[in-house]
Amino acid sequence: MSKTALPRNTTRQAEAMLYGEAARKLHRVSGAVIILFVLVHVIVQAVRHAPIFATANAAAPWLQALQEQNWVHAILFFCIAFHTFYGLKLLAGELGFRLHYKTAFWAVVIVSALIGLREVLRYAGI
Amino acid sequence: MSRTEVFPEHTDVLIAGSGAAGMRAAIAAHDAGAKVVLLAKGPRRANHTRMSGGRYNAVSGLNPGDTTDAFYQDTLDSGAGINNYRLARILADEAMDRAYDLESYGLAWDRTDIRKYYMSMTGGGTFVRTLGSVDEGIGITEVMLHQLHKRGIRICDFHMLADVVQDDDGRVVGGLALDLSKGAWRYFSAGAVVIATGGTSQLYETSSGPAINTGDGIAIALRAGAELVDIEFMQFIPISFVYPPSARGYTLTEPAHYGMRHFDPKAEAAHLVNNKGERFVLKHDPVRREGSTRDVLARAIMLEILEGRGTPEGGVLMLPDSKVFESFLKERPIYVKRLLENYGEGQARLEAPIQVMPSALYTLGGVRIDPSCRCNVPGLIVGGEAAGGVHGANRLGGSSMPDIQVFGRRAGIAAAEDAKEYAGAGAAQLEKAHARAAQLEACIGRSDGVRPPDVKKRIQKLMWDHVGLVRNGEKLTETLAAFRNLREHVLPTVKVTSKSRVLNREWMEALELENLLDIGEAMAASSLQRPETRGAHYRTDFPETDPNWTANLIVRRHAGALNVEKKAVVMLDQASPQRENVGAIA
Amino acid sequence: MPSDIKLRAKIRRYDPSVDAEPHYETYEVAGKDNWRVLDVIRSVYEHQAGDLAYQFACRAGRCGTCAVKVNGVPVLACQERCKPEMRIEPLTPFPVLRDLVVDRTEVEARYEKHALTPQRATEYAGGPEAIEPKLAEELCHMDSCLACMVCVSGCPAVAERAFDGPAFMLKLRHMAKHPVDTGNRLEQAIDAGMLECFGCDLCTQLCPADLSPAQAIREFRREMIFGGSAKHE
Repeated sequence: MSKTALPRNTTRQAEAMLYGEAARKLHRVSGAVIILFVLVHVIVQAVRHAPIFATANAAAPWLQALQEQNWVHAILFFCIAFHTFYGLKLLAGELGFRLHYKTAFWAVVIVSALIGLREVLRYAGI
Repeated sequence: MSRTEVFPEHTDVLIAGSGAAGMRAAIAAHDAGAKVVLLAKGPRRANHTRMSGGRYNAVSGLNPGDTTDAFYQDTLDSGAGINNYRLARILADEAMDRAYDLESYGLAWDRTDIRKYYMSMTGGGTFVRTLGSVDEGIGITEVMLHQLHKRGIRICDFHMLADVVQDDDGRVVGGLALDLSKGAWRYFSAGAVVIATGGTSQLYETSSGPAINTGDGIAIALRAGAELVDIEFMQFIPISFVYPPSARGYTLTEPAHYGMRHFDPKAEAAHLVNNKGERFVLKHDPVRREGSTRDVLARAIMLEILEGRGTPEGGVLMLPDSKVFESFLKERPIYVKRLLENYGEGQARLEAPIQVMPSALYTLGGVRIDPSCRCNVPGLIVGGEAAGGVHGANRLGGSSMPDIQVFGRRAGIAAAEDAKEYAGAGAAQLEKAHARAAQLEACIGRSDGVRPPDVKKRIQKLMWDHVGLVRNGEKLTETLAAFRNLREHVLPTVKVTSKSRVLNREWMEALELENLLDIGEAMAASSLQRPETRGAHYRTDFPETDPNWTANLIVRRHAGALNVEKKAVVMLDQASPQRENVGAIA
Repeated sequence: MPSDIKLRAKIRRYDPSVDAEPHYETYEVAGKDNWRVLDVIRSVYEHQAGDLAYQFACRAGRCGTCAVKVNGVPVLACQERCKPEMRIEPLTPFPVLRDLVVDRTEVEARYEKHALTPQRATEYAGGPEAIEPKLAEELCHMDSCLACMVCVSGCPAVAERAFDGPAFMLKLRHMAKHPVDTGNRLEQAIDAGMLECFGCDLCTQLCPADLSPAQAIREFRREMIFGGSAKHE
């Protein structure tokens, strides 16, 4: 068959994953996670290190353990990676780089997932 | 019983039809100083022009061999000599100027160089002259719509022209429209009414046109006393999609476009084969073969299918030449997409056989007009597919686009002129509008009866079987009797399910039924009166062309009965026959 | 040959003039596996619900008037393949006239506002305009937009912000690129909320004419940030 690209077959639109919707939702959620993390991180670090909060610190010994959960790290790193890379993808598009929405979405998701996975592996000693 | 409410309005020019003919008429009438209202039966983009491949025959000067004389002669040859010669001449002469108008509206015709248009061939023409644009009929309708927006022309969506109203002298003084979005009647008194409602493709079981083309305007004109010409001639596009059901009948244009004949009038068009692999067209036209005119091809294919040599799905096979794929993709990407989605990748790349069947496409006949688009009924102007005589017994591919621009403009000019002259009491005819509206509401009240879609299907089947590609006297007579029966016994029992007046499709279809029957009857009656085969009209009982029948059949309603009369073809040197008839009313 | 298939269509019924609120009715339809959603709707009208209000005309994907939402996704009913389970609703965010038919008055008002005819500096002189063949092709591609409003319906920015919609941006870009148009199409786009676009490309994915309004918006944005003109691209 000839190699020239054909127009798309758009007769199954309602059966396909809506990439833009998934990307947008993930971008919002990851953004919220980042903001939440910063807030929580500041508060927790203050509780753990500021003398004024010593009593609170003593009452919450689980704060240290919380910071060492691999899944917390994995989710956080995934969110930071996804939010950053997807944001860069949007910027790149505006600067003139033609990126297909499907390829770009999966590339960003997979790279971010790998970064998240790396945290799990790191905690597992791998 | 409360009186049917009818909201009166006034305008100079009322145009029914949102296709290119109606829109071009609106532009011309507005630019001539008239106040214009345009009625679109559905959303304004729902029209036949929209669906067209947008191929545009015109003599641009880019092909040194071609002249307007050649285009004119091709038109007459294709029309088997029964065209209105004056209209054909005008088409050839004015097509290019109208193409430039579209350019000025923002349509970027395909080019080979910055100021050189790209041209291709269509079946039946002798010179390469056909212009086109990648956006096809979509582009044409879009640029024109924006021209209407620019002029502030009022477009009424969902307004079906139900009838015209005439004064006691028979002059058309207004149009009664049903606002389907509200179920409300509007009467527009007007100085002139333009019918640009397109053709009657929906009369047939398998058709290429949009669902709304039920011949409304032609039927309305007929009822108002207008003469119809060549109404027995219905063009069937030889190749169209066979499946899926929603796409069935949608035009695939011509075999000429799928072979090297696309570029070179001497080269091969795509071959057509039956289920035995035979090139059956050679029996019918050994000279032009699959590059023949639409009438010859459509008939050839239909006969193969009827005689049992078609595919199981009811079509034949077209074998495209993959060498034209790159060009085809570049020129008609929308068609490639449809081939891909309906058939498959092989077909889209023109590498696999494409299943095709004929389909009702274009109403060659219609209201009889003179070069100004006036008909024998004063105040009524007709342009586009609704008018007859330009193309005679068969239309060249690519000639409808220039027709609607050329005659749409002329219709608008004539309408503005007539509106200026007319200072009549249009509003006084409101009573007649009320009476007609009340008549057309009868079906809403009925609780028992037959549903419009069921009656429509019966009419469509009768037309496809007996008043279509293959006709004979016996079946035509039977069909006329069946139509008489439908009119007398079935139509009065039509009911609608919905109690809502809003977007009541069954009510719209009930109104359409009368139009379909009126035209169907006219088509069957004049087909019966023409004892020969010519162009799109094929009779198995008279398979030869009879030179004594190089004439037109004029159909007219008189005192409720159809009058079919043979008249000489309008030649170039004749004074317009319409001038004699203006003022003469049924 | 296509095979038989059982289809269930849940169609949103609503007559604003009489109903307090919309409700869904479920229809069982015996169809074929190559049917489109429009074939299903027509079957329901012809055999089960003669009072169903729906819109179509060309049934070949060219007029764009049959757009509806199927299982929450805006599509052309005549193009979208049927599915065993379908929820069919009118196209959001347009006002519903009845059942599946929406009011496009606002759509036309937006088109009119944008004045999408070539705004010439000098009168049209007749004959072909000077347009590079490749540009002519590109212009025509952009003008094969059906105005179906599928992209506007699917656009998250239209739902949340003051944004006319992707389709209008595409048309503005079409005029911006036309060599004889002198209108300030960038300014018009910005006024119409172009900056609200999320760049999500849902419009690109959903467009039944294979166009990318999002790309048109990106080009406008580059022009806005870096200057230059649509004409030189």
